[in-house]
Amino acid sequence: MINILLIIFTISLIYIGIANRMLTYIRIIAFQGFLLFGVAFIELIEINVVNLVFVLLETIVIKAILIPLFLKYILDRNNITREAEPFVSNFVSVVIITLIILGSFFLANTILDTYVRKIFFIVAFSALFTGLYIIITRRKIITHVMGYMIIENGVFVLSLAVGSKMPMLVNTGILLDIFVSVILLGIFADKIGDVFEEQDVEQLRNLKD
Amino acid sequence: MSLVFPIVTLAFMLIIALVKPGVKGTMAVLAVGINALASSWVAINALLGQLFTESLNGGIVFGNIPIRVDGLSAWFILLTNFTLFTGILYGRQYMKRYGDQTTSLSLHYISFLLNQLALTGIYFIQNSLAFLCVWELMALSAFMLVIFEHGRMKTLKAGINYLIQSHISFAFIALGFIWVSASTGSFDFSAITQYAAKGVSEAGLLLFIVFFIGFAIKAGFVPFHTWLPHAHPAAPAHVSGVMSGVLIKVGIYGILRMLLLIPDNHLVIGYGILLISVISGIYGVMLATVQHNIKRLLAYHSIENIGIIGIGIGIGAIGSGIHNSYLAFAGYAGALLHTLNHSLFKSLLFYCSGILYQATHTLNIEKLGGLIKKMPHTALLFLIAALAICGLPPFNGFISEFLIYSGLFHAIAAGQSPVFVVLAAGGLALTGGLALMCFTKAFGIIFLGTSRHPHAGEIHDAGIATLLPGYLIVLFIACIGLMPQLFLKILRNPVELFAEAPVAGDYTGLAGLMQHISLAVWGLAVLVILLFFIRILARNRMLTTGSTWGCGYENSSPKLQYTAGSFIRSYAGLIKPLVITKKHNKVITDIIPEAIYSETNYYDKAEAGLVDWPVRNLKALLGKFKFLQNGSVQFYVLYGLVFIAISIAIPMIINAIQYLSQMIKQL
Amino acid sequence: MRLTSLILIIVTSFFFTGIIVRTKSIFSGRKGPGLFQPMKDIFRLLRKGSVFSETSSFIFQLAPTVYFATLIMAILFVPFGNQKGVVSFNGDFVFFAYTLALGKFFMIISSLDTGSSFEGMGASREALYSMLVEPAFFILMGSFSLLTGYTSFAGIFGALHFGSYISYGIGILASFVFITIALIENSRMPVDDPKTHLELTMVHEVMILDNSGFDLGLILYGTNLKFAMYGAIIANFFLTPGYQWYYSVPIYILVQFVFAVVVGVTESFSARFRMNHNPQFILMFTSISLLIFLGVLLILGKLI
Repeated sequence: MINILLIIFTISLIYIGIANRMLTYIRIIAFQGFLLFGVAFIELIEINVVNLVFVLLETIVIKAILIPLFLKYILDRNNITREAEPFVSNFVSVVIITLIILGSFFLANTILDTYVRKIFFIVAFSALFTGLYIIITRRKIITHVMGYMIIENGVFVLSLAVGSKMPMLVNTGILLDIFVSVILLGIFADKIGDVFEEQDVEQLRNLKD
Repeated sequence: MSLVFPIVTLAFMLIIALVKPGVKGTMAVLAVGINALASSWVAINALLGQLFTESLNGGIVFGNIPIRVDGLSAWFILLTNFTLFTGILYGRQYMKRYGDQTTSLSLHYISFLLNQLALTGIYFIQNSLAFLCVWELMALSAFMLVIFEHGRMKTLKAGINYLIQSHISFAFIALGFIWVSASTGSFDFSAITQYAAKGVSEAGLLLFIVFFIGFAIKAGFVPFHTWLPHAHPAAPAHVSGVMSGVLIKVGIYGILRMLLLIPDNHLVIGYGILLISVISGIYGVMLATVQHNIKRLLAYHSIENIGIIGIGIGIGAIGSGIHNSYLAFAGYAGALLHTLNHSLFKSLLFYCSGILYQATHTLNIEKLGGLIKKMPHTALLFLIAALAICGLPPFNGFISEFLIYSGLFHAIAAGQSPVFVVLAAGGLALTGGLALMCFTKAFGIIFLGTSRHPHAGEIHDAGIATLLPGYLIVLFIACIGLMPQLFLKILRNPVELFAEAPVAGDYTGLAGLMQHISLAVWGLAVLVILLFFIRILARNRMLTTGSTWGCGYENSSPKLQYTAGSFIRSYAGLIKPLVITKKHNKVITDIIPEAIYSETNYYDKAEAGLVDWPVRNLKALLGKFKFLQNGSVQFYVLYGLVFIAISIAIPMIINAIQYLSQMIKQL
Repeated sequence: MRLTSLILIIVTSFFFTGIIVRTKSIFSGRKGPGLFQPMKDIFRLLRKGSVFSETSSFIFQLAPTVYFATLIMAILFVPFGNQKGVVSFNGDFVFFAYTLALGKFFMIISSLDTGSSFEGMGASREALYSMLVEPAFFILMGSFSLLTGYTSFAGIFGALHFGSYISYGIGILASFVFITIALIENSRMPVDDPKTHLELTMVHEVMILDNSGFDLGLILYGTNLKFAMYGAIIANFFLTPGYQWYYSVPIYILVQFVFAVVVGVTESFSARFRMNHNPQFILMFTSISLLIFLGVLLILGKLI
């Protein structure tokens, strides 16, 4: 069952590559949240009940509900247009994301660790690099946050891989979530709409030393 | 017991952050006072013979942290506490001017407390890793203290210069510690002694040199001095006083501690330190004399005094190298006493310069003059400090210089390496003469004569609260000058750590000398008072005042006075090879001349050669890579991605190549 | 007894300047004033009133007293043959030099106190020259310390004896250096011209332009004392220990007399150096002191 969930997760990564609208990104992130809820439920069933409940709640509430709602709120508040404007064409994106997944597959093969099951590793790595890739190739500033969310999902997956042995690690992964929500709350909710007229990353170049 | 200090410091840090700006200063004074009392209690016990040892458990990372306070640490703790206390007393008054900048103020006081904590830690802790941590804390908190006026570009640049050089010194010290702990596997200081004892003696010498360079950068020996003249003027006055009085002494403490821990090769080390110190002393005071910014003058002068301390250390090391205990005693005693003396009079001079700056808003000597009438207390404090720093009797500078001279001449009389030592004596005499020139210029141009520049607003002397720390220091200076036997007795404990043989005979010899000097000094004071009395009695005739004699010239004006630049002009001509002279002037062109000006500034050529030139070339080289920094966040993330990919790919590729080559071999 | 040196120096100081002035007059073809005339001038000054400049402060009032007190303190150190001075301990010549430096410090700042350009000039030159003279004095004392193995004035002069030719040569050279140091410190020819008060030629005379009355008397008498003190030090070179006082005292008086005459002759026949040459001239004496030092090393067989 886990394998199926994780494979669907990977497919959602490829889907982000061809998505055109901002709303689609947000929906995919919410969907990934639900997937991770399922994986967490199955994987961590052996750990302390309180901790388990906490992790599951967090996954559902923050990853799948709260953060996508925040992002939608920001989109509306700042009148960000619907288009996600990439620098490279969608076709190239898909190719690259596929290459990333293949690369992490090869990489996972060279790691001879008995603790981490290969599929977790592959998924985590692909999510990581895909998140980075999204940050690099999208023009809008808000997509940086979305890319960060994807990276974070990847890290969460990796922590789940050893979560039954080291539950503390999962909690560390959750800290990242909280970090992102604080950033969103503090920076984006009001400020950036007022300070920057354009939502264009090119304008950030003006901050160069 | 040692955990008292961090707890008190943290508690007061919170308090300072939360109270009103007016009360912050008082809280800081309280905090410094409590910490000072606690560590001084420990130190005084140590000086009386009761060493303080404690062992803290540092967990897996640090191992065992031994805390030992012996005579050497005790001496430094006491002088640090005194100067920090007078520093915060004066600083509280100085900072009242900036009462509206609440966050900067809180940060400043918090950094001061952290600095004190770090200094206490450095003198207490004898575990390499913990030592490095507290050292770094000291450097960072000092940096925060220096850049208080961070709005000015020059201050920021000076602070960053200081930070970078601090870290270079940290690198050297860390290198030394890593070397030892890698060889012996222990972080304790005593491991250094073991390492030096069992290995080749050259290894011990090299280890000492590495440590010496690190500590010398902190202390300000030439050629590692270039950060001093920038950092001290940039900082607020009380911070300059604390830095000059206390922070550079940490370097001296390090050198002395390493001398204790590495007991071989002292003869060679002594010669080396003597050479560097004589050069530092002469160079420092030569450049101090030509400065027009009072704080920069004092900063260069600190380099000279560090040189004098180094001469003492060198003599002491030579003494312990040839097993001449008188030499060792005199040298180390002179060095330790001069450390105390310098912290006293240099901090006093910096406080006076702070008072001057807040009264007249300028640090340029050329614009001051005649201030003795408006600020008599400050003038008196400055005069006493100037007399003390030139090493003139009856003040404390003379006592420590006399101890060092005593050691030098004893070495000459005993026939020990006479050439070197006589040149050192001549060098010391030269620095004394130059210091005289420097401080007659400083005192004379600032306070005497008439004002050289119209001042905006009223100038009045500082209040009693500001002057109180100054008078405390003067009291201490006079005590040391008039009763040197007492201080020699206190010094006996630390110095005996260095001299191996029983030093009773030498101690009584030196103590007898101190008695004689004390008598002579009292005699001098009595003579002066007696003569003054006679003069007053004889002077009951006509007393009139008139204007200064001008050789018949009626139109005397302040512009006719000697300026600082003219006072040192012939001297500056003599030291031309050492400085870069820049002259700005306007020449007379018409028949009826208009107002012209002439300004001469002198820059340190050593700094230009050692620091500016390499930095310029480095910048040119790195400038070629500017295109990489194009400001676009996405490029930066791309760089990160590429780096991760490469660092993952390379081992994989190597693996693959090996696999392939194996396959090919099998074919 | 310990006060011998002090009494002798004070007695000599009464006549010293008189001898110099008389020598100069005789060489100029005049008869010249009496030997005691300068002292009479000083007594007259001590009874006069004073004028103080408005720009000056308490430093100006304090300085001549401090200067004179330091001179008296310094005199207490000078020995007479093998009889110690009033104060004597190891390393006392350091105290000697630094006490004199204290006096100089106060004179320099008192002249800066008046805010006059003349006195600033004098102060600047005085500071420079005294700075350059210090190493020479210390290296010289260091050489003697090395030669005799003692580190106090009394010890050195008590143990100094001349055996070989080299040591005589060194003794003469050392006397020459001391005489020149005395000339420099007292601001006589060829470093400074005491006759004129024009700014181009002054070092010491110009520093005291604004002093008057009791202060001026103190300062002028101080010059006498300084001369006598240096003369006493130089005389010590010629007072070999072991002589009875009825030999030592006449030798002493003779040496002081010859010293005064030499000063007078130098002043009559030489012109003052160009101001720019003075630093080089003074620095030359540091080199000569170093030469003496190397000579001592040669004597002791330690020349490396």
